Amino acid sequence: MFRKVLIANRGEIALRIISACKEMGIRTVAIYSEADRNSLHVRFADEAICIGPPRSADSYLNVPAVISAAEIADVDAIHPGYGLLSENANFAEVCRASNIKFIGPPPEVTRLMGEKEKARMSMKRAKVPILPGSEGVIQSEEDALEWAKQIGYPVILKASAGGGGRGMRVVRSSEELPNFFRAARTEAQNAFGNGDLYMEKFIERPRHIEFQVLADEHGNVMSLGERECSIQRRHQKLIEESPSLQVTPKMREEIGATLKRCLETIGYMNAGTVEFLMDEDGKLYFIEMNTRIQVEHPVTELVTGVDLVKAQFRIASGEKISEIITRPIEMRGHAIECRINAEHPEKFTPSAGKITVFNLPGGNGVRVDTAQYAEGVVPPYYDSLIAKLIVHGTDRAEAVARMERALSMFVVEGIYTTIPLHQRIFADADFRAGEFDTKFMERFFEREKLRTESSQ
Amino acid sequence: MNAGQLQSLKDLIEFLKQQEVGEFDLEQDGLKVHLSFAGHGRSAGNVDLSQLTHLLQHAPSAQTHAAAAPVHLPNVAAGAPAAHHAPAVSDEDGLHIIKSPIVGTFYEASAPGAEPYIKVGDQVESGQVVCIVEAMKLMNEIESDIAGEVVKRMVASGQPVEYGQPLFAIRPR
Repeated sequence: MFRKVLIANRGEIALRIISACKEMGIRTVAIYSEADRNSLHVRFADEAICIGPPRSADSYLNVPAVISAAEIADVDAIHPGYGLLSENANFAEVCRASNIKFIGPPPEVTRLMGEKEKARMSMKRAKVPILPGSEGVIQSEEDALEWAKQIGYPVILKASAGGGGRGMRVVRSSEELPNFFRAARTEAQNAFGNGDLYMEKFIERPRHIEFQVLADEHGNVMSLGERECSIQRRHQKLIEESPSLQVTPKMREEIGATLKRCLETIGYMNAGTVEFLMDEDGKLYFIEMNTRIQVEHPVTELVTGVDLVKAQFRIASGEKISEIITRPIEMRGHAIECRINAEHPEKFTPSAGKITVFNLPGGNGVRVDTAQYAEGVVPPYYDSLIAKLIVHGTDRAEAVARMERALSMFVVEGIYTTIPLHQRIFADADFRAGEFDTKFMERFFEREKLRTESSQ
Repeated sequence: MNAGQLQSLKDLIEFLKQQEVGEFDLEQDGLKVHLSFAGHGRSAGNVDLSQLTHLLQHAPSAQTHAAAAPVHLPNVAAGAPAAHHAPAVSDEDGLHIIKSPIVGTFYEASAPGAEPYIKVGDQVESGQVVCIVEAMKLMNEIESDIAGEVVKRMVASGQPVEYGQPLFAIRPR
């Protein structure tokens, strides 16, 4: 097992990783920007090194600074967390060249999955169902029109090099296509430095279903079941849950077996998540793979009982899956996670500043992953996630009731948070009934707007 | 060195051995001590810095300074809020602090055995190379951002430094 690990991240995930390390007797090194000097991840690490000014590009994303810190601290491994450098194949390569173990898949695999179009083709060859779409990158507007004709409108244009909603356009007719094609290409070029686009069939009311996998370094892959993440605003997840009410045990087994076969062929290693869209008929189509631990990993941890971050370290130190997971995976009960952001719950403007009150809910079946604290400051330089509130219950009804209870006892003052938004979602009849797709939030906001207008 | 100083030094050595510190540098009132412990690797372990500071404060030779002596642990990068990576050099004299712009290892000269780029008492010009900070096998020359007299060097050669760590105090011209 590693002696010393550097955590190349910040906030709640850095603290999560440090926690796993503490439990495993691994010494931890935190890195931080000047804006994070008083962060909890800095406080609870064994050592901490300031690596740059507040801007991420100059600190957390600054590969030479991160590697230099790893060298002077003499670490065995680097855990990249999620976001930041976690899916940066160049960074993984630099780690390898510097003789520092990168907790994640090999750079070649990260690179393959990072190029969304190549990943699609790879999965297709392995007989994983994918959405009908373009073969490879679209070369021109004419090419785009041809593909769209073949696939059938509506179609969606997507950036090969990125995600998060940028470089994406839904096209419903051939008249719209040329303009949208140009716009998407420019946006992708600006956001990711790469304007390559591919095209997929667009599903009007899809559900977002993703599967968690673990793969050891001896060629063994295991699926740990699915999470449903359909509640999204502008392609950012708000709420995730497991299991999905739409996935039957038979489907779970079949997809699990397919993914095992496919990822073993690709040579996948460590933790990963395979994302699917489910159409209105309940069919799953692969969209992309994330080659890292995800924000919503606690949901899977609570229903399977597997500590995914510890598993990552054990895999990276050479253990086999069969040593880490000694019993068949069972989905027990139901877990739901709410991402609490430092944003106005209606306007969604970011709310940086000092937290004056921070009362966390607790009790049976409640878990809070956060790196914030009373008197802590939310800096304006990074993403707005300040806490993850995760609950577990014997079934979905209990999990929903538990989340409502926990949300009502989560008191934050000094900044705005999206806790009131989550409370409104949990009061919604469709949400409670499990009746939703990725368009849920749009309709939800429409309903709210109509309610306020009609009451005026 | 008088008997009291010697006793303090012996206590200090005992403490450091217990904490399994590998190397230790101390500069206090013109007294400079470098200790290297045989058989220990680079790791410094969980050194209780408050205890260390206490030991140094009660050394008889420290009577002219109320603040903790400048303690530099070459192999421990700055830790949690309780341990600050360098003494707070007061700005009361209007001293300008040259800070490290990168993470790495500080070297006072261009090569082992070579003359240090600058010494206390030297005059420096803006843009003049004052030291090296090595990062990822690259020797980065650090330039002074001000002209003036070198009043203090705050780090030891071979010491790891973080971003923003004070390296030199300069009295501006």
